[in-house]
Order: sequence, then structure tokens, then C-alpha cells
Amino acid sequence: MKRVGELTILVPVDVSEAEPPGLDILGDLGAVEVVLLGYFPVPDQAEPALLRDQYGSTAADRLDALAAEHGTSDEVLVFTHDREATIDRIADEYSCNAVLTGGRATTADRVLVPLRGDVNLDRILGVVADLLLAGHETATLFHSVAEEADPSQGELLLMGAVDRLVEYGVDRDRIDWQLAEGSDPQADIVDLGAEYDIVVLGETEPSLREQIIGDVLSEIVDTLEVPALIVRDVE
Amino acid sequence: MSGEGGELERTLGFVEAMTLGGGTMIGAGIFILPGIAAESAGPASSISYAIAGFVALLAALSLSELATGMPIAGGSYHYVNRALGGLFGAVVGWGMWTGLMFASAFYMIGFGQYLVEPIPFLDGRAFIVGLGLVGLILLLGVNYYGTEESSAFQNVTIGTETVIILVFVAVGVFFIDAGNLEPFAPFGTRGIVATTGIVFISFLGFEIIATVAGEIKNPSRIIPLSMILSVVLVTILYVLVMLVSTGVIPFESLGESPIPVSDVAVVYLGSAGVVAIVFAAIIAAISSSNSSILAASRVIYAMGRDGVVTDWFNASHPRFYTPHRAIAATGGVTALLILVGLEVETIIALLAEAASFSFLVAYSLVHVSLVVFRRADPDDYDPSFALPRPLYPVVPVLGVVSSLVVVSQMANVVVVIGSAIVGFGVLWYAAYTRGRVVSEGLLREAIRGPPAQPFRVVVPIANPATQRGLLRLAAASTHANEDRGTPELVAVNVTAVDHPSPLQNVEAERADHQRDLLENAHDIATQMDVTLRTKAVVAPDVGEAILDVIEEEAADEVILGWDGTLDRDGYVFGETVDPVVQRAGCDISLVDLRGESIGEPVALIAPGPNAPVVAHQAVEFAAVDGTVPTLLNVQSPGSKPDSDAEERGRAVIADAAAAAGLEPVEYDVEVVVDDDVGRAVVDATSRYDTVCVGLSGRSEGGRIPFGTVTERVVNDVPGNIVLIRGSEPA
Repeated sequence: MKRVGELTILVPVDVSEAEPPGLDILGDLGAVEVVLLGYFPVPDQAEPALLRDQYGSTAADRLDALAAEHGTSDEVLVFTHDREATIDRIADEYSCNAVLTGGRATTADRVLVPLRGDVNLDRILGVVADLLLAGHETATLFHSVAEEADPSQGELLLMGAVDRLVEYGVDRDRIDWQLAEGSDPQADIVDLGAEYDIVVLGETEPSLREQIIGDVLSEIVDTLEVPALIVRDVE
Repeated sequence: MSGEGGELERTLGFVEAMTLGGGTMIGAGIFILPGIAAESAGPASSISYAIAGFVALLAALSLSELATGMPIAGGSYHYVNRALGGLFGAVVGWGMWTGLMFASAFYMIGFGQYLVEPIPFLDGRAFIVGLGLVGLILLLGVNYYGTEESSAFQNVTIGTETVIILVFVAVGVFFIDAGNLEPFAPFGTRGIVATTGIVFISFLGFEIIATVAGEIKNPSRIIPLSMILSVVLVTILYVLVMLVSTGVIPFESLGESPIPVSDVAVVYLGSAGVVAIVFAAIIAAISSSNSSILAASRVIYAMGRDGVVTDWFNASHPRFYTPHRAIAATGGVTALLILVGLEVETIIALLAEAASFSFLVAYSLVHVSLVVFRRADPDDYDPSFALPRPLYPVVPVLGVVSSLVVVSQMANVVVVIGSAIVGFGVLWYAAYTRGRVVSEGLLREAIRGPPAQPFRVVVPIANPATQRGLLRLAAASTHANEDRGTPELVAVNVTAVDHPSPLQNVEAERADHQRDLLENAHDIATQMDVTLRTKAVVAPDVGEAILDVIEEEAADEVILGWDGTLDRDGYVFGETVDPVVQRAGCDISLVDLRGESIGEPVALIAPGPNAPVVAHQAVEFAAVDGTVPTLLNVQSPGSKPDSDAEERGRAVIADAAAAAGLEPVEYDVEVVVDDDVGRAVVDATSRYDTVCVGLSGRSEGGRIPFGTVTERVVNDVPGNIVLIRGSEPA
């Protein structure tokens, strides 16, 4: 099964900032399609059109410069009250499988892939396979089980996942896995993430509680120092 | 691909639009005004709320159409400025801006009253005004620095506030003392109408939805739905609150209270009820005041954009990206208005009425603007929500009348203040705006009415031998449709060139040919007494060029010559004709002129969408030689006796003729009953000079469907053949 060429990554960039963020990692990801989304956050108080009148050309120039530097396949400039809504809409429009966010990294040699269970597993593994087949990275699959729980369930999940990646055509030498025991998988991911260049996370439908007080995923992304590649949860 | 300066995200869905509209409306208006309303209209003040709601609903209806026609920032101001020009634009712009500031000051004083009154040791106007100012300054601070994505928080607070009011009403209904509602209208009709002017301010929020029209998703659906629904729901809520309030407490004592709703709640909900109501009142005051400040800054933005005021206001803060100057200016004037409260005891009613006055004037001009837009019908005005008849023109007419009636009953001092603001708008226009603003409005176009529509027939011509016949058919067609518009013929000749370039001339010979053709067309048109324009086009693809002309000219009909051959080189009619038949959005007649004259036409009528067009076309073509066409239907006998089949055929023809609007004297009827339909058609039509046949309009899979009967007619009938396809909805 050949999957290369299907991976399209959306890279959102805040174009209201004068200093462009470090996107060097893009050059190291290999042959993936990149859609560059330049978003200009508009406060509730302002009319988006007002900011476009005033900053439209500056923002477009910044975006063009970034696009030229990193050779992206598409670029979009949006003035928005709601960054998340814009990311979702543009990711849909350009059929992006994943969204790159978060911290800085210059190379992409080692990829951490925390797996939560069966949630979104197919899509995460598909993206990881594409990523590995397009570039030269090695990946570590990671799963955390509760202290009291039976670890064999987690081992099964990880080994199955490795097999799937091999089926997709990834060299077995480039994948390993790690099973952890702990009460706080969130902290484990953040700690472990520091040793890697990029973390691949699966997006999940936020629960009502998460919608109000903030979801686990964005907490992890905010604390991570390295970039996160968020696999979208859409058909 | 970032040209044009970028996209604007539409972030407001139905829920957000409803909370925005409802949240702004359910504000201090319902927590403070019941006292003043009860004082001036008694229990009948619920009627005042109902009337105010009705006036607001009329405005919401007109605004919905305008907002879906022009979903950009500015709301009422923008529509009036477009429709009635800079003078009225300035009046409404300044009126809305000051009105929103009056409203904002009103909300913040109400906020102060609700904080001060329940606590015994705090008292006095100074405290109320002071708290109002503190609240305002906090709001200004927040808005100056800017907030992001606070809609979830707003949804929760406005939801809580609404629930508290619902509980207040639902429980209160059981505590209504019928005796309190007698007499129901102690101050009569005048009292009710005068109170309407005071409480109208309680409905200001729905307008916000139009002000942010540019940010609403799926605007054609959500704008009208949320505006109309929020006004209706809020009106019902207000009427109930008023009935409960005047039913639980005698209106005289309600009138003396600065915090009437809380005084009512204490009767049956105890101190917990008071706390809840005070909480809701504070939330309401803050959210309403906040929305008003933001709406005011958007009005200023729109006025600056159109040049009605300086666009100095339109700069946004270099770091916070908020329209800080507009917010600061709005806040400064609002603070002054709150301070007036130190001196003027009736400040609350005054502010409420002044805001209502400004908006009633604005809405009556909005109604006028709707009429102007409908009459002038500018090209870029294409509202996806249009008021159906008889709502149009009833809504705008009733809207203007009712707004003026309410305004006429307002207190003299308010009429003076309001008129002064209108006068300021006029002076502003004369002194500042005039000479700078481009917008002249559409008034002149509206009075003249929309320009007469031509009925335009496009005739592509290429062959000197057939052009005369084609033009004669086209001329007959335009004359027959004179009731649909001024007849106009457009003859077009396309010279095919691989790479058209302005630097390279078409070979002289072909250019001469084109010129001769079109000059001849002019001669023919003069003989036939029809207006003709000619177009000479040089393009790589003849079919595409013809389609472009059809679109540019907004053609009603195309008459296209064709050589009568079918199925050649993979095309049904030919390389040039096929794309035109497939994609042109108007009626098409495909003509193969075989005989000398058009003579007596026959139209083959089969049930289907094309039948009326075919029948009508036959009548038009018959006019060329002054004959009467025959409408022909062929039936196979089936198992029933012949007379049934004959009747069926007559019914089909009668239906088609009726749908085409033809009188029975305009055509003859012929029904043939035969087992072999194809042969019968050929036999019957061969007796006529010209045969009109329908062509199915649906082309699936890129191929033009072509029936076997049609094919036999084309191949076997000696007369002129006209294949007709009706216009499809684009």
C-alpha cells in the first residue's frame, strides 16, 4: 500500500507579528504538501474589514516572503475573530490532513507519536506513515497506561500500530515504541516531547467540559516546546 | 494567492447572532423602564412594549432584506447612505452614533441604580452616577485593549440572564392579582403611545445583527432569521415581564421604584430572587452597554469609510488592533452623558427617549431606503431575502407611519434634542461632507423607475446566403415579444483566429467579409423595421465567443443557423453549435433553412418543459409570412378507442398553448393517431414549410440528448427545420 503524496499539512502563521516564526522544520519534512495560512487575529472590538484596510498589504507581504522562503504549495490570508474556526475552515477547503502548530525546531529527525487508544488511530498512523515515507525521520510510538492497569493491552496497541506502519511500507528500523506507566499521561507526553523534534497528536471532538475550560490537546500543545502536528479528526 | 489583501472570516453563526441581538436587547431596558412605563401608561404599558416590538419588527423585516442585499459593516447608516445619499447618510450616521451613546449611558446609569438601591447605606445620585462611570471606564478599558473569542463566555452569561427572567415570569404569573390590572389603561391611548417612545430603546439590539452583517455565516438565512426571531421572542418576553410586574405590584408603587423588577421579585422569590435579579440586571447593563459601544465604533468606521467623517477615527491601535480612537471618542461622550445625571433627575427617561428618537428616525429612513432600492434596482443589489408581497410595500409604508406616530407623541424636550441632532447632521453634511462624498444616492433612479428592459435576440451570422432568413426569423421573434420589452436584435459575427492579438490584424480578406456581413445585416434590419446592433468579434473559439456575447447582452433568445447534419466528428450538431446549445442560459432556436420561405409552420407538441416555448416560437415564425401555425400532436392509439387518443392529444396541445399564453385563434390544431409515431410525424410535418421541434434541455454526461423522432424529422422532412430548447435556470 503506497501512501506517499497524500499528506497535506496546514501551517498557520500569525501575520500580525513582524518577526516570522521559525518554520525551518518545513524544509526537513521531505516531500509533503504545505498550505500556509496567514491569519491576522482581529479583536472582538474591531471590524475585520478595518484591519484589512489598514494591514492587508503588510500582512500579504509577510506571507509572500514566508511562502517564497519555504516553497509552499498554497497560501491564504485571513482576517479573523476566531483563529480556530479559520484553521478548521481552511483545512477543510484545502483538504489538509494535519495542522502544524506550536514551538520551534530546525530539523525533523525524531518523531514522537503518543497514542491514546483506538481514538482516531487510523488517521494518526496514516499521517505518520506519510511523514516517514516522505522524509528521513524515525518515530517512537508512545502509550501510557494507568499504574494499576494491565500493561499487555497497551503493548498490543503499540505493536499493532508498528505493524500497520510496516504494512504501509515504512522500514521497521525507523520505528520503535515505548510503554509508560503513570497517572499523568499529559505530563509524560510533555516531558518526553522535549527529547524529540516534533510530536504527532490526534485531534478529538472536545467534550462540553473541554469547550468551556479548555481541552487537553491545546494544553499539551501550549506546554510543548517543539512543534506539534495535529492530525485532524474528519472524514 | 494573497492578493486583494486577504479574506475576512465569517465567525458568527445562528447562536452567536441570536445572543448578540438578544443579549443587547435584553438589557437595562427591561430592568429599569418598567417603573417609568407603569407610571405613564399603567398596566397597559405591556401594550406599549407590544407596539414598540411591532415597530421594531417592521424595521427588522426591512433591514433583513437590505442586509442580505449588502452584507457589509454599517447597518442602517450604510443602507440610507447608499439609497438616499450623503445628506441623509450624515443624518442617520450621526443619529445612530449619538443614539448608541445615549443608550450606553442609559444602561450604565441603570447599572448604578441596581447596584446602589438594594444596599441601604449607599444612596444618592452621586453614587449611581459614580458607579455608572466606573462601569463605563472598565468597559472602555477592556475594549481599548481588545478581547478575543469571548463568545462562549457571552453565551453563558446571556443564557443565565435569560433563565433568570424566564423564572421571574414563570413564577410571577401565579402571583398576579387581577385587581392590580384594573383599570388597565388609566392614561388612555395617548399614555400608551407616549410610553412606546420611551420603551423603544429596549429593542435596539436587533440592529447590531445588521451592523455586523459582514461577519455572519450564511448571511442570507441567518440574518433575517435571527433578526426577526430575536425581536419576536424579546417582545413576548417584555410583554410578559410587564404584565407580571403590574399584576404583582400596583402600578403606582411600581412607578416610584428605580429598580422595579427587583421590587416585584422580592414579593414571591424572596431575597434570593432579588440577588438573582440584581445579578441579571448588572449582566444585562454591561452586555448592552458593551454592544452599544462596539456598534457605535462600527458606525463611525463605516462613516469614515464613506467619507462622511474623517477616517482619523478608523485607525486601529498599532498593538491591540482595536479601533481605539472610535472607542475613546464614544466613551468620552458617553461619560459626559452619564455625568449629566448628576444634575438632571429624569436622566434615565430622557436618555431612553432620546436614543429611541434617533433610532425611530433612522428606521423610517431605512424603510424609505428599501423602497428606493426596490425602485432603482441597482445591479449590485440582489438580496437573497426579499420581502414577499404583500409584506412589500406594506412593511415599509406601515414602518414609516408607525415610527412617525410614536415620535409625534414624545416629550417636547426629547423632540427638541432629537431634532437638534438631525439638524447637526444636516449642518455637518453642508459644512464637511458635501463636496467630498461621492455617494449621490439612488433617489433619482428610484423616481424614474428601472430602465425599460429590452427584449434582445442574438443572431450569430456567418453565411451571406442564410443571414437574411435568420434575421427575418429573429425580427419576427422580437416583434412577437414586444410586450416583454423593447425589441432589439444583436447580429454577431465571429472571426476565428488562433491567437487573437491587438497587434496583429486579421487578414484583410476575412475582415472585409466580416464587415460586409454586418453591413448587410443593417440593410436587412432597416427593411424589417427593427433596431439592430452588430458586433464583430475576433476569438479563438467561435462557440465560446457566442456564449460570451449571449451573456454580455443578457440575451432573451438566440437564433442560430445550422446546416442540418447530425452526428459528425463526435458532435451532435457541430463543434461550434454544441457548446452554445449546452450552456446558453436563454431560449435557443437552431435553424436549418432549406426552403425559400418560412411559410406555414407546424410545431410538434409533446408533453414536457419545452412544449410552450415550441408553440410560442411557431406563432412567432408564422408572423414572418403572415400565416397561422399548426400545433401538431401525434398519439399512438394504445388499447383505447381512437377518440380517447385524439382527446389526449388535444389536451396536450391546449396545455402547452395555455402555458405559452396563446389565444386559440392564434393557432390551428392537428392530432394524428398512428401506431408508428415516427413515420406519422414525418408524414404530417412534411406537408408544412417549416417544422418546429423541441429539444430536451437536460444534457447529462455532456452529451445533448436527441430523440429518434427528432432525428427522423431532421433527416426525412424536406421543409425548414427549427430545433428549439427553452431557457434553463442557470
